[in-house]
Amino acid sequence: MSDLSVNEAVVMRNVCKDFKVLNRHEGLKGSIRDLFSRDYNTVSAVKDVTLTVHKGEIIGYLGPNGAGKSTTIKMMTGVLEPTSGEILVNGKVPYKNRTENCENIGVVFGQRSQLWWSLPLIESFKLLRDLYMVPQKDYEAMIELYRSLVDIDPILHKPVRQMSLGQRTLSDILAAFLHNPPIVFLDEPTIGLDVSMKAKIRELILGLNKEKNTTVILTTHDMGDVDALCKRIVIIDKGTKIYDNDIEHLKNYFGSYRTLKLKLADDTWEEYLIDEKTTDVMDVIMEKQKEKKIKDVKILEISTEEVIKKIYEGSAK
Amino acid sequence: MNPKRLLSITRAGIMESLHFRLGIFVTLFANLIYLVLVYYLWKAIYDSSGTDVVNGMTFSDTMIYLILATALFNFLEMFVVWDMSRSIQSGKIVLDLLKPMRFRKYTFWSYTGNHVVQFVLTFIPTFIVVMIVTRGAIPLGLNLVWFLIATVLALIINYNIEMMVAPICLFTESTWGINIVKETIVLLLSGASIPLAFFPEKARMIVQYLPFRAVYDIPLSILLGKSGSDTWQGLVSLFGLQLIWLVVLTVCGNLFWNCAVKKVTVNGG
Repeated sequence: MSDLSVNEAVVMRNVCKDFKVLNRHEGLKGSIRDLFSRDYNTVSAVKDVTLTVHKGEIIGYLGPNGAGKSTTIKMMTGVLEPTSGEILVNGKVPYKNRTENCENIGVVFGQRSQLWWSLPLIESFKLLRDLYMVPQKDYEAMIELYRSLVDIDPILHKPVRQMSLGQRTLSDILAAFLHNPPIVFLDEPTIGLDVSMKAKIRELILGLNKEKNTTVILTTHDMGDVDALCKRIVIIDKGTKIYDNDIEHLKNYFGSYRTLKLKLADDTWEEYLIDEKTTDVMDVIMEKQKEKKIKDVKILEISTEEVIKKIYEGSAK
Repeated sequence: MNPKRLLSITRAGIMESLHFRLGIFVTLFANLIYLVLVYYLWKAIYDSSGTDVVNGMTFSDTMIYLILATALFNFLEMFVVWDMSRSIQSGKIVLDLLKPMRFRKYTFWSYTGNHVVQFVLTFIPTFIVVMIVTRGAIPLGLNLVWFLIATVLALIINYNIEMMVAPICLFTESTWGINIVKETIVLLLSGASIPLAFFPEKARMIVQYLPFRAVYDIPLSILLGKSGSDTWQGLVSLFGLQLIWLVVLTVCGNLFWNCAVKKVTVNGG
């Protein structure tokens, strides 16, 4: 805790998290045996993760399903205690001072809402204002800022349960930023949303980050989110950090890869991912031309989506 | 401690309760049916006893007691056990733990709104009806003030009983069964379904000192001027009993909850 600099929003050092899971047995007999069983398995959800997030950064925290993303986020917010290692959020240990830590973070879980279900959104805002003891002046300024970024007036007086998923997610994000926390965690904020709502939400996050210099830690499976928001990404898989660098660097890393798209006689596109170091793109085209007629050819740079897919697949081997 | 925060949470609770207004009317209707049943049950008991006074209570004493006990039950009823186990199973508990306020305090105050609504919409009307029907069988005076204080204490005691049972559900993963056991024990031993005067001598001696009585019997006795609450000495001993249990159960509720939160934060629920 000694070398704490003012520049760091989150510091994680060698953080591990193990869960004890009861070994369940099959069948009715097994279920009865489980009642008295002491047979536990230890599952390591997060293994030795070291990570520093700087103030004002938006980082994408990626990984395949079950990689340990949510566990990490929960540890950073203080609702889970790490088994070993050290975490500092805003310079404090989050799980030791959970309530205090909560005043300085905002959290959105894409699948859940923290809003008061049956009340109009404005009531949730007022309640959060009092709960976080936000001065009235700051509260009003924040609402004004929201108004300049998104069109909130149509949803402000709408009960949350009558909202569409998109409106609800938007409201949840606004609620998480309301007390102007230095750090906001967004856990799959765009899950299940349509294209235009996704764009709106990305714009909002970017706008709030710019205006308030809020650090944003974002987990998502949507590479569009990553491309639009994150300069830096961290990838974990099976609890271990496997990548931590700029998004540009990531593309360079796979820079020799090209996506080749071929339009066939029946107007369908076929896609091939080619590593130019080992295979020549022209060779592939020629090879394919022998088999079928090609109407059009496109050679594209590798997309973030493809890169991430390659990394996930690579680590799975 | 910031009263504005607590008021704000209570306010939202009131608004949420009022939103489900149909539920309140259904409760009133269900109570009516229940009270008809209670009326005929006790009428049969009194008719077969051959005397007008059983265990020191007349038929109308018993009815007033039970009607008010039912109203009090609706007003004090909490669903902490249900809500908590549901939110632990669904993982919603994480959002509650992420509020900038201690979970126990936050939960208590978010229920307060509902208590206020129930008090105004079920207890007060019932009380007025009883007053009109019995033409003033309930003394009106300082006892109303004492009753309100006793009710607030009862509310806190009841909350802590819930806070002790909820973690048990978390560990046993059986909400329904344990909640029913709790409900039955509380209703029986608190005097909410049978006045404590009807208990056998030995059982009453024990039940008198248990915390359940502090939830329903003590506030009701104070309201009706029974159990010696018409003297200062009696009043002090009733409040004393409530306060002792309040402290004991708050400490226990705290311990139980800390165990539960440990389980959630260490093993993810």
